[in-house]
Amino acid sequence: MTVTGDRTTDMAPADGVVPAPRRAQMRVRKRNGTSEPVDVNKIVRAVERWADDLADVDPLRVATKTISGLYDGATTAELDRLSIQTAAEMIGEEPQYSRLAARLLSGYIGREVRGQGVASFSQAIERGHAEGLIGDATAAFVSANASVLDDAIDSAGDLRFEYFGLRTVYDRYLLRHPSTRLVVETPQYWLLRVACGLAETAEEAVGFYRLMSSLAYLPSSPTLFNSGTRHTQMSSCYLVDSPRDELGSIYERYAQIARLSKFAGGIGVSWSRVRSRGALIRGTNGHSNGIVPWLRTLDASVAAVNQGGRRKGAACVYLETWHPDIEEFLELRDNTGEDARRTHNLNLANWIPDEFMRRVEADEMWSLFDPDEVPELPDLWGEAFDTAYRDAERAGRYVRQVKARDLYGRMMRTLAQTGNGWMTFKDAANRLCNQAAEPSNVVHLSNLCTEIIEVSSDAETAVCNLGSVNLAAHVADGGIDWERLRGTVRTAVTFLDRVIDINYYPSEQAAASNPRWRPVGLGVMGLQDVFFALRLPFDAPEARELSTRIAEEIYLTALETSAGLAERFGAHPAYEQTWAARGRLQHDLQGTPGTQAERWTALRARIAVSGLRNSLLIAIAPTATIASIAGCYECIEPQVSNLFKRETLSGEFLQINNALVAELKARGLWNEQVRSAIKQADGSVQGIAELPEQVRRVFRTAWELPQRALIDMAAARSPYIDQSQSLNLFLSAPTIEKLSSMYLYAWKSGLKTTYYLRSRPATRIQQATVPVVNSSAEALACSLENPESCEACQ
Amino acid sequence: MSMTDPKENLMLLDPGMSLTLRPMRYPLFFDRFRDAIKNTWTVEEVDLHSDLKDLSKLSPAERHLVGRLVAFFATGDTIVANNLVLNLYEHLNAPEARLYLSRQLFEEAVHVQFYLNLLDTYVPDEQERFAAFAAVENIPSIRRKADFCFRWIDSLGELRRLETREDRRAFLLNLICFAACIEGLFFYGAFAYVYFLRSRGLLNGLASGTNWVFRDESMHMAFAFDVVDVVRREEPGLFDEELAGQVREMLAEAVECEAQFAEDLLGHGVPGMSIADMRAYLQHVADRRLAQLGLPPMYGSKNPFAFMELQDVQELANFFERRVSAYQVGVTGSVSFDEDF
Repeated sequence: MTVTGDRTTDMAPADGVVPAPRRAQMRVRKRNGTSEPVDVNKIVRAVERWADDLADVDPLRVATKTISGLYDGATTAELDRLSIQTAAEMIGEEPQYSRLAARLLSGYIGREVRGQGVASFSQAIERGHAEGLIGDATAAFVSANASVLDDAIDSAGDLRFEYFGLRTVYDRYLLRHPSTRLVVETPQYWLLRVACGLAETAEEAVGFYRLMSSLAYLPSSPTLFNSGTRHTQMSSCYLVDSPRDELGSIYERYAQIARLSKFAGGIGVSWSRVRSRGALIRGTNGHSNGIVPWLRTLDASVAAVNQGGRRKGAACVYLETWHPDIEEFLELRDNTGEDARRTHNLNLANWIPDEFMRRVEADEMWSLFDPDEVPELPDLWGEAFDTAYRDAERAGRYVRQVKARDLYGRMMRTLAQTGNGWMTFKDAANRLCNQAAEPSNVVHLSNLCTEIIEVSSDAETAVCNLGSVNLAAHVADGGIDWERLRGTVRTAVTFLDRVIDINYYPSEQAAASNPRWRPVGLGVMGLQDVFFALRLPFDAPEARELSTRIAEEIYLTALETSAGLAERFGAHPAYEQTWAARGRLQHDLQGTPGTQAERWTALRARIAVSGLRNSLLIAIAPTATIASIAGCYECIEPQVSNLFKRETLSGEFLQINNALVAELKARGLWNEQVRSAIKQADGSVQGIAELPEQVRRVFRTAWELPQRALIDMAAARSPYIDQSQSLNLFLSAPTIEKLSSMYLYAWKSGLKTTYYLRSRPATRIQQATVPVVNSSAEALACSLENPESCEACQ
Repeated sequence: MSMTDPKENLMLLDPGMSLTLRPMRYPLFFDRFRDAIKNTWTVEEVDLHSDLKDLSKLSPAERHLVGRLVAFFATGDTIVANNLVLNLYEHLNAPEARLYLSRQLFEEAVHVQFYLNLLDTYVPDEQERFAAFAAVENIPSIRRKADFCFRWIDSLGELRRLETREDRRAFLLNLICFAACIEGLFFYGAFAYVYFLRSRGLLNGLASGTNWVFRDESMHMAFAFDVVDVVRREEPGLFDEELAGQVREMLAEAVECEAQFAEDLLGHGVPGMSIADMRAYLQHVADRRLAQLGLPPMYGSKNPFAFMELQDVQELANFFERRVSAYQVGVTGSVSFDEDF
């Protein structure tokens, strides 16, 4: 047993230099087969080359820690990878290591690409084309413009990545050689390839590339995966109407969904038209088993389709609240009970008519109808629905009745226990949808992430392609750089619109819908970064005003751009069926006047003449992956923690709030004690007394914010969101009381949709890297169960 | 000290089968029982499919590591479950404590099922699979750990009632062995390998299941240390310097067992995880166990594995990629409209 008395215990301030005794003789094998002793100084020099502007990076520590993890006889490639990993593991104590790790990785990727004899963008495209990866059109375009495009590559572009972002790009986005699996493009080649896949001229391609390379805007993953390739499926979302209540239609839907899913689309599908358990099947004189067995099959089918190996297929099933199988539907994700009635891969959403919410509020009964008995309900909304529903109820055509509040409580329980069973509101969605101006055009469901609101039917599957503005990149001089924001939106809308024509549609129903309506979904990410930069608490009225102002600017500019496209190419074919054709834009439907009166007036005049190229323009998607590529916080969300890990297919990464670290550094508070305190408090800084109260308010986490403020902010921007928003809500310890109050408020605020309910585990894993508190020194907590044994009160 | 029941003056380790839940002597144990229920998970929720692709990407050295690791997992939880039934349940004389132990037993069973499922998935060849389950017999580095466990299970084997001070000390040593050495060190060592692999983006299925196992094990350990605290309160002289010395000796032996396991696992060279770093990590963990028992550290080693920090901070899973593991079961209440949120 060795007892070393001279060292401090536990996680003492990480002075870091791990002694590497007896390791001087360790050797590495070089690529040419020879071996040489590991040289600390060589690693130090390699790190220094990338750390010029990173003042708080210590190259010697990276080198010594790297060697400490090495084994004798490792290859130089292993050494390279280990140095990247080592730097990445130090991000939690100093965020600048994220940049360092990214640059080391960038160097590594560069060597991988050059090692295959690829020295320029055009060569990479040529090689990719020869290997069957790049599409003919893009190959020809690049070959015709080779020198201009090769010159456009920004060699400093990779310096803008954080490690998480670049790692994700390397692991999942860069094209790989079909047999060697080596990447055949660098990150900058990749972005230029995406641009070339959508551009008509070299100039246009370079402009779009520069915008993406600056990380001020990124299209959604399917576009980033597939633009310029042989399979140009670039849409994110498909909204599939419910199968008709018959076998053939149900199996057609499985096949359609599998095809849509194969090329990286996320699926929303309604199941409201399919008859419920116990309903008569006339053909066989038997009784239906209801929707659950069908959804089990869907579950298996979705899991079977793996999107080119890059991510698993994903689908969300929508069910209207009057369907008699609603309770079993709500249990599909439970992890207890009969597994034969569970679907572990499907997401679930409630498609809720206002009538239900009114009855919940008034504590009335709710009738459940079988769709083969009352088949008209899915196609009605608003007053028409209310009338049909009440008539059917009066006629006694319901299967059974339940207390509306009991069902509502059941919905809340599903949300609390699974996060699933999203609350989306059918009437608001239809009332405020530009496509639904005529009663025959009905929104039947939202999509996988509840931000898309488009009409669908048996013959038309709604499609949307998405992209998000990184608001963090538009902060300047203590505010938003509005001119830059407008420029970004103009480019973004132009290319989102372009996708519609170039896109490969995996199903005829999708191909039937998209060219008629030409919807796109421009969203945002990095709103939290903006608030941090401007030191605005998320729930401050100024934050809400700014967020609304940003939403108006983006919607207005997007409409202007779409009007411009309509002037050149004509309005979208179904334009006459929209509210816009009747002079009513989203904020008109919501009864809110815009603040930029002159621009709105000018815009209306243009629309009145030429119409709009796109029926829908704005949708705030979750941006999970592209936000991590851009290195900003997700969409419109508050931060979840000041210190958290992100799990992705690329492994786990520690992420830290850079703005907070800067603040702490400026105050001389960025030290091991404070860091450890933040970790112990699950990423909260509210217990750090040295931070002034107003600073702590800025750095609250989603768990520490009043959720009312998130709903209010979403409602305030909604006049400028013509589709919807993926609005997550956060309650660390949800109760039915809190949830039922919260979602009633969300409905009353007029939101079209909400998304996940996020909550936290009941207990947690014991922390392994924070100091131990000796529990025997703590008094037993006071407990009403047993007051006489409580020491604290005696 | 009023930790004992005012009427019966019953102490936690007094022999018997107390049935009295009211008044409750140890509400903390009951709370732990209820918390544990909220963490219910099932093996079916873990998707091991993506791991198969990763397995084919591993280097021979990494494959060796994974093979040994799952072989250890194949029997580890069963051993813990056995001790629970054979020793702990019998002697912890409070129904609320036995409620928790029943729950723990269920969790151990789920863990066993998880690792069974894991082996069936990872090791398609039947003969190899049998060999993995026989690891306790065939693989010396695992055998040595198992022997250590068996010795401590057997140490209480003959004791059906804790009558004397010595009996109760023997019980405490058994409890501390299972909490601090087996769940708190062997499993923590094993988790480190899993988290290491995950930090490299490998074997996410194993890691997500392990996350849930780890969450459960953290509770088990916390419960065991609660028991130690209660016993120390109820019989202040019991945990004396001699016992502390035995605990240190036991932990030191556990560190050696686990370190020789590490030499086997890492012997073929795994970049990012050296044998020396693993030993330092184990010493660091052992010091933490001592600290939890109110004892001074033996080693003073720092945690060399930055990736272990990852498991200390919140997960923000992207649902496209991974099932989120942060939900609760057993949420209660009724519909209301005027609650603050």
